[in-house]
Amino acid sequence: MTLTQGIYIAIGAAVLLVFLSVMVLALTWLERKALARIQMRMGPMRVGFHGALQPIADAMKLVSKEDILPSWADRRVYWLAPLAVFIPAFLLWVTIPVARDVALANLDLGLFYIVAISVLSVMGLVMAGWSSANKYAMLGGLRAAGQLVSYEIPFIMAILAVAMLAQTLNLRHIVEAQSTFAYVLFLPLSLFLFLTAGLAELGRTPFDIHHAESEVVGGPFVEYSGAHWAVFFLAEYINTFTIAALTALLFLGGWGWPTMPFDGLLHSALSVLWFMVKTYAVILVIFWIRGTYPRLRIDQLMAFGWKLLVPLSFINIVLVGVVMFYGWPLWVLSLLSVITLAITFYIIARSAGTRMERNTVTVYNAASLRR
Amino acid sequence: MVGFLEGLKVTLKTAGRKPVTAQYPEPEKRLEVQDRYMGFPALTWDGDVSEPYCTGCMVCIRNCPTQCMSAQMKDNPLHAEGKSRRRKIIDEFEINLGRCILCGICVDVCNFDAIEMSHEHELSKYERNGNRVDLSALLEMGQRYQDSTGWQPKQPEKNSGVPPPPKEPAKKAEPIELAQVSREAVEHRKAVMRARAAERRSSQGEERMDDTTQPGQSET
Repeated sequence: MTLTQGIYIAIGAAVLLVFLSVMVLALTWLERKALARIQMRMGPMRVGFHGALQPIADAMKLVSKEDILPSWADRRVYWLAPLAVFIPAFLLWVTIPVARDVALANLDLGLFYIVAISVLSVMGLVMAGWSSANKYAMLGGLRAAGQLVSYEIPFIMAILAVAMLAQTLNLRHIVEAQSTFAYVLFLPLSLFLFLTAGLAELGRTPFDIHHAESEVVGGPFVEYSGAHWAVFFLAEYINTFTIAALTALLFLGGWGWPTMPFDGLLHSALSVLWFMVKTYAVILVIFWIRGTYPRLRIDQLMAFGWKLLVPLSFINIVLVGVVMFYGWPLWVLSLLSVITLAITFYIIARSAGTRMERNTVTVYNAASLRR
Repeated sequence: MVGFLEGLKVTLKTAGRKPVTAQYPEPEKRLEVQDRYMGFPALTWDGDVSEPYCTGCMVCIRNCPTQCMSAQMKDNPLHAEGKSRRRKIIDEFEINLGRCILCGICVDVCNFDAIEMSHEHELSKYERNGNRVDLSALLEMGQRYQDSTGWQPKQPEKNSGVPPPPKEPAKKAEPIELAQVSREAVEHRKAVMRARAAERRSSQGEERMDDTTQPGQSET
């Protein structure tokens, strides 16, 4: 590696860091606004136009707060944990392209790299939970581990279906393969799996049991404050942005579908814009879901993951494999996906019972339970 | 599953509605206080004679459950000039709004329509004693309340400070001769006495019967 190459990479990393920070700031503002509108409030209104500078004020407040180290904490692990969460989140963006020619590194194994790196952040959460010397942090950290590991399977399987269809792991080629039809048309089942498992991976509502405020009072982050807490926060929002960006790239056709006109710089700028529109649409859906559903119980979460998403993800792979092996037209795949989704929803609705049954609370007395 | 979609539909619908939030401190965006709103007590102003209604009678102060008020009365200079009907007028009045519990007893006991529950409700002050308001501030609060609601005293004829028109000299009665009057009166008196005596004589028997039988019945 020559010196110039090194300088380019350093500049690229710096630009990426700034870009991600700005996106996180925008995301926090957008989330507060979206949730506020859902609850018929206004959200931040004071700092800047409609609270546009509120995230900056928040960041300044967080940085200027006191950093507290619990006296029983494992000091080195405690200070390392935020980095162990943040660095994987940042590393993911090394290979994610925002336009055809705009990416830090276009890896041929891009998708594989993303899957491999995204699992690492679990490590940081467990470290934070363990080193805080706090029972809630500990419980939260272990919950995070359990949740992320079990939802990793449907997450990877959903991505695998896309890779099978595109016949590549390179993200740029996957997007180019969608230039006529986005994969959401062929793989609605995959999209469903990916978004659901993605939400669980992020630990966002309704799957935010690892920092459930009402149960484990913030989970692994209980003891953190100030700048270190801010780093966790940053990582969480970068991950949200990543999942939305991946959804846009893998299922919505990224900057393609329709391909932007012109060449050179103008093409890149338009592509980035188009990609951002899709990403933010997905982010709004994520916020919408957050504003709607309550948190799942941990047993519900595990049951949902292992009994529904994992089998479905395998069925999905089989469907894609069969269609591709026999060379059937792709609309058969979309038909099969929709049918599978419909059957799944029907099964869920059946297992939940009629409205009457769902709204009835059965009261047991202690004697009948003891038998 | 239908329930999940229904939930999404509900949140989408509420997201389209107008926020119910009122931006508090801005005067043009905040909510208006209702006319029936009962805020902190304030003193009313009698515009007809330009002085407060309050005479400093201390009734409200004695009845205040939290003892948040104090007052001092004085002789009314306007009364001395003949411009007002009020002999006494309030000199100093202080309410500690931080102590007031907005019970409204002071308004109920006031005989002069002098104190009213105004629309004032904002207590934020920069000084520790900023909520101890004096007479001029209370009158200012009352003036704002009177202006915004068109307040009128409940008993205007009793409590108005406008002095009554100067009394006309009493109408002179026609002169009567005193001696004649007294003579007539004596004659009249004598006639009455005579009539009574004659009546007593004629009905003496009956009266005696009545007198004896009635107590006799009660004794037996």
